[in-house]
Amino acid sequence: MSITAINQQLLRAIGVGIAVVGSKDLQVLFQNGPFSDWFGKPDAAAALTDLLPDIDIEQLRAEIEDQGRFTGEVSVKMKRRTLVIALTVAPAEEQDFLVVECQNITRIRELESMIDSYSSMVERNTRELEREKERVERLLLNLMPRSVYEEFKTFGVVTPQLYESVSVVMLDFVGFTKFSSEHDPTVTLGELNDIFTAFDRIAEQFGCERIKTIGDAYLAVAGMPEPSPDHMRAVANCAVRFIRYLERRNQSHQHKWKARVGLGTGAAVGSVVGIQKYVYDVFGSAVNLAARLQEFANPMCVVAPDAMKEFLVDEFHLEDLGKRDIRSFGEMRLMRVNPGVELAHRARQF
Amino acid sequence: MPASLFEKYGGFGSVSRIVMTFYDKVLDSEDIGDFFDDVDMTRLIDHQTKFISYLLGGPVSYSEERLRRTHATLDLNNEDFDEIARLLHETLVEHKFDPGDIKAVMREIEARRSAILSTGAP
Repeated sequence: MSITAINQQLLRAIGVGIAVVGSKDLQVLFQNGPFSDWFGKPDAAAALTDLLPDIDIEQLRAEIEDQGRFTGEVSVKMKRRTLVIALTVAPAEEQDFLVVECQNITRIRELESMIDSYSSMVERNTRELEREKERVERLLLNLMPRSVYEEFKTFGVVTPQLYESVSVVMLDFVGFTKFSSEHDPTVTLGELNDIFTAFDRIAEQFGCERIKTIGDAYLAVAGMPEPSPDHMRAVANCAVRFIRYLERRNQSHQHKWKARVGLGTGAAVGSVVGIQKYVYDVFGSAVNLAARLQEFANPMCVVAPDAMKEFLVDEFHLEDLGKRDIRSFGEMRLMRVNPGVELAHRARQF
Repeated sequence: MPASLFEKYGGFGSVSRIVMTFYDKVLDSEDIGDFFDDVDMTRLIDHQTKFISYLLGGPVSYSEERLRRTHATLDLNNEDFDEIARLLHETLVEHKFDPGDIKAVMREIEARRSAILSTGAP
């Protein structure tokens, strides 16, 4: 067998489609099996343009001129399958011929579309997970302050932290037990929900953070987890506005609510309690004091320890209540906190 | 929660091979290949990738409504459905799925027969 014959046989055997065409007239001089399978067997004297009508011959010649070769892609419908064939056309060593090399890249294209399809699936899933994560985060932020949540997220635990100087406002409704026994639970819940939502807004506005509600009791703190020098004024501002809000609400609502409010100041520890059922809670003398003083308050009054006086005297109207014996605190001078002149004046305007 | 078949058989790496085999079988089928004469390759692969991933419990949801819309214009009959199911069965056997798992997948696809065969007419 001559070398030429061996070469021809080799070219026929490989999976790559090969054709040799004249460089001037583009007449097909040779083609192997795969090439014929894809583009058909031409009649005598067929040109490349007949077999590959989609190829821009001008561009082909220009690219060969510029870059020494032309690359492109053609689609061939074979039965019901669309084949994608990658073409390379380059001059043979003798300048009179062009060698057309064709590779079937259908499978690659099919796999590419599969990967596209799958990644769109995964991306969509990722977006949904992201949204879910945000929902969980929002929920957890309802249970604990953001800085505590960040610590919890990073370390998986929250270290109990002592805050030397914080203030607490504690509010409790008068006659709540009686109300809830006389009304449908949904009515009670609706009322509490409405009022506590308003309290949350007030607390947020004055730099307090609601820690929890226990039945009808509402507890908020200032000065933690972010320390603030103004924590006493913050809780006093909230307290008088809670009362003001209830007074205003009572004018227009069927159910009239009266509340007692106690303020406390001192140290407190904040931490997440529990492992499966998290709750962020605060403990300490400031909390206990607010709870005790709230019991001392007359309906719709705010009671605070005398120790807060110097911080509140400029802004609020304070009434001395004398010394009282407070369980587990001993004897303590108390005062009633009323809105200051400015706030009372503003309230009258509306 | 037990791992899905999608995970059990190696995730997308294996599912991609299953889809490819199934795709070839469907296109080469004498009985139902005609339905795909004019279907765009990208669309068909997209559909099969998602649907098979879904059947195996992969990370995708595929509503009955979407199945209905995809097949509504094709005027398929029960024999066509059986043929496709047979091809899927064959594919899973070739990819060495446990007989029990194949049965589970077949049950899943059978449950969607009415959605797939629906012509969209009320």
